[in-house]
Amino acid sequence: MSKSKTFNGLLLTLLAISLVFALVGCSSSKAEESKKVVIYTNGDEEAVAAMETALKNAGYDGKYVLQSLGTSELGGKLMAEGSDIEANLITMSSYFIDSSQSKYHMYKDLSFTTNAMDSYPSYYTPILANTGSIFVNTEVLKQKGLEKPASIKDLTKPEYKGLVSIPNIMDSSTGWLLVQAVITQYGEEEGKQVLHDLIANVGPHLESSGSGPIKKVEAGEVAAGFGLRHQAVKAKASGAPIDYVDPSEGNFSLTESIAVVDKKNATTDLAMKMAETIIKDARKDLITNYPVALYQGETVEDINKPAKSMKFAKPLTVELLEEHQKFFNDAK
Amino acid sequence: MHKVKPEMRVIFILIVLLFAVFLFIPLVVLLIRSLENDQGFTLTNYTDVWSRRDLTRSILNSVKVSALTAFITTVLGFILAYGIHCTNVYRPIKGAVRILVALPMLLPTITYGFAIMYSFGNQGLITRITGRNWFEIYGFNGLLLGYVIYTLPPAFLLIHNAFRYVDRKFIIVSRLMGDGTLRSFKNTVLRPLTGALGGALILSFILSFTDFGIPASVGGTYEVVAGQLYQVMLGSIPDFNQGAVVAIVMLIPAVFGIWLLQALEKLNFHVDKMADTPLPKHRIRDTSFGILSLLVVLGMLSIFAVMFIAPWMNGYPYDLTFTFKHVASVLESGDLTGVYKHSLWVALLTSFFGTLAAYAAALLNVRTNLRWRGITDTISMITNTVPGMVLGISYLLFLNGSSLKGTFTILMLCNIVHLFTTPYLMAKNALSRMNPSWETTGELLGDSWLRTVRRVVLPNSAATVVEMFGYFFVNAMVTISGIIFLVSAQTSVVASKIKELQHFAKFNEIFVLSMLIFATNLIIKVLCEVLQRRRAVRR
Repeated sequence: MSKSKTFNGLLLTLLAISLVFALVGCSSSKAEESKKVVIYTNGDEEAVAAMETALKNAGYDGKYVLQSLGTSELGGKLMAEGSDIEANLITMSSYFIDSSQSKYHMYKDLSFTTNAMDSYPSYYTPILANTGSIFVNTEVLKQKGLEKPASIKDLTKPEYKGLVSIPNIMDSSTGWLLVQAVITQYGEEEGKQVLHDLIANVGPHLESSGSGPIKKVEAGEVAAGFGLRHQAVKAKASGAPIDYVDPSEGNFSLTESIAVVDKKNATTDLAMKMAETIIKDARKDLITNYPVALYQGETVEDINKPAKSMKFAKPLTVELLEEHQKFFNDAK
Repeated sequence: MHKVKPEMRVIFILIVLLFAVFLFIPLVVLLIRSLENDQGFTLTNYTDVWSRRDLTRSILNSVKVSALTAFITTVLGFILAYGIHCTNVYRPIKGAVRILVALPMLLPTITYGFAIMYSFGNQGLITRITGRNWFEIYGFNGLLLGYVIYTLPPAFLLIHNAFRYVDRKFIIVSRLMGDGTLRSFKNTVLRPLTGALGGALILSFILSFTDFGIPASVGGTYEVVAGQLYQVMLGSIPDFNQGAVVAIVMLIPAVFGIWLLQALEKLNFHVDKMADTPLPKHRIRDTSFGILSLLVVLGMLSIFAVMFIAPWMNGYPYDLTFTFKHVASVLESGDLTGVYKHSLWVALLTSFFGTLAAYAAALLNVRTNLRWRGITDTISMITNTVPGMVLGISYLLFLNGSSLKGTFTILMLCNIVHLFTTPYLMAKNALSRMNPSWETTGELLGDSWLRTVRRVVLPNSAATVVEMFGYFFVNAMVTISGIIFLVSAQTSVVASKIKELQHFAKFNEIFVLSMLIFATNLIIKVLCEVLQRRRAVRR
């Protein structure tokens, strides 16, 4: 065997190796080069549709990638990855934006002005708000001979056993609205008892999705549930045997907001423009599905105005959520 | 054997490096993270697991449902294999059973769950046809059904292959000697199959214990380890150290199971000469096994029927008129076709480089004198042991800050490492059976080693290479367990997209995407089959 053969063999091997690396390099750069704005959102289908319509009408079609995630998933990513997150633009429950900002200082101040009715931090502005309430299936109530509940506490009565559905605070921010109401009204001690009895009545109807309870109430599988008020209003208007009850403990609300992750590059600027488009153009669609007025000049019908709007005493943060999750689990 | 050449060393070092960086180091990082908290090294992460009721409960649940799955799957797999080998069931039925039972392997497990929902749910196809709700699908029952469908094909294949060791002459002799049905069955069928049946039990157990797709779709409130692992890693309060512990917990039964499998291997005995003895006629046995086998297979497939029906209806289950609209809207949506292209791209990359790596590793192992060549066997054992989810988490922990994060490369690497064992063994098997003196002859004739490999060894194992390629491709298309932690918005593949679509209950899209995967895999499978046949004939 001659020297040149060995040399040739080695050359060939090296060639093969470099080919491998070239191909691998190609494939990886393919993902990195694209300057599309990555949007992470925890929004429902309606919210996503409204935002996408606004973006497309503004000519941004094909310039962004939108990824839907559950609130807990997206929240986890925000808290774990900070500004290393893939997303340039996020829409998310506001308390998660607050907490991730204080941990990582990861958002860019919004460069456009809004006419929000409340004041919000400079790095986000709300896209929608959700309000919690009780709702009932009037048919099932009649069938079971139950009285319409007036409060969350009413749902802990023994006659509601197996007939109540609530969202789980571990997965759903709607579940948090319930826990806020209970803690505000009854304090920690009595609140724990109320929650304990409630969870016992709920049994298998503890839902991971915030829209789970309304679906079960609509299907007639349970008589009453706790969830988003506007969904019950909508169901009632469509002729379903549904009625909403603003609980005596109060209607608590959460906002979902939009924020731009500061990556200090051109994509960040484009993301900022898209954020502006969403706030300016998507709100008119959003408010029909999430009827809470957030900006000057917006109005909603009276049926969509909750009877007892309340705010939790402490500012909503992820730490508070964890505290309340623990409270909820301990009450089980 | 011929001498060791430098190019062999180069390739060998590359392969070892590949697995050092993408298997060993990530696993070590995983172990370290599981022993770490804010204060430094500690065992508290492990003790914490036992104090968290939801975690211990989910482990118990997983064991329970996986054990029952393993039992049912093994029995069903045995019935199917027995029907094929030890009865005179009408031949085309045997053929059909053998092909049909493998079909679910062409789909991602996450699809199984949705098919079950749409078959047995309140408005499901089977519920409507039969006019009743058979059982509560969310939770234990749904998981069990999904796992059984998922594990039946591999369990069946394992038992099916082991039936080669059952000599039918013994069955006849045993009968002639006056053994009763039971005794004869025990001695001539069960005994030789003990190893395979045990293997099927363990395999099904491990597969169900570590699968993510099925609990993600029909798990309901029945918590299992895979779901917990996902929640701990990507839930509202991610705790990577805790996640590392759960991953290790998931690894333990897998390690134990693989070890058991190897021990069971010894129970298999080899028969050199197998006579193709015809079996005595037995009409009751034949008809009952024929019907039973068909029932099992058709029952399994009927669950998937809805997947191929629902997307073609205007609004299943209420409006059953035919329409192209759902399929067309998926095909027109740049978003979804993009995701499909990603899947295709990842599968192609995986199968190309995976086949290259597995073939090279096997070649060096069987056909060279390299000193450390046994390492590739160890590697293949470890890749066989590590569940996809554990691998995915190790990558997440190890490569999170690196530039590989969110690329197709990392998905491909995860797939290659995860799927390495089977193609490696295929290649080893084929290469060891070929004449060992070819390389020497080639060298004498003045060809370099690589040239001999290219001109002689490779063409003679072409059928195997095609088979390896097909294995990598199909599995890369359907896998979700490993990559669920590694995909990003810009590299999302069909299997992970389905999880996202689930969020909005967009079942038509889910089913159309599943059909696309199924069709693609079917085409690749058929193509590979044709290529293999042609190679075989030419040889």
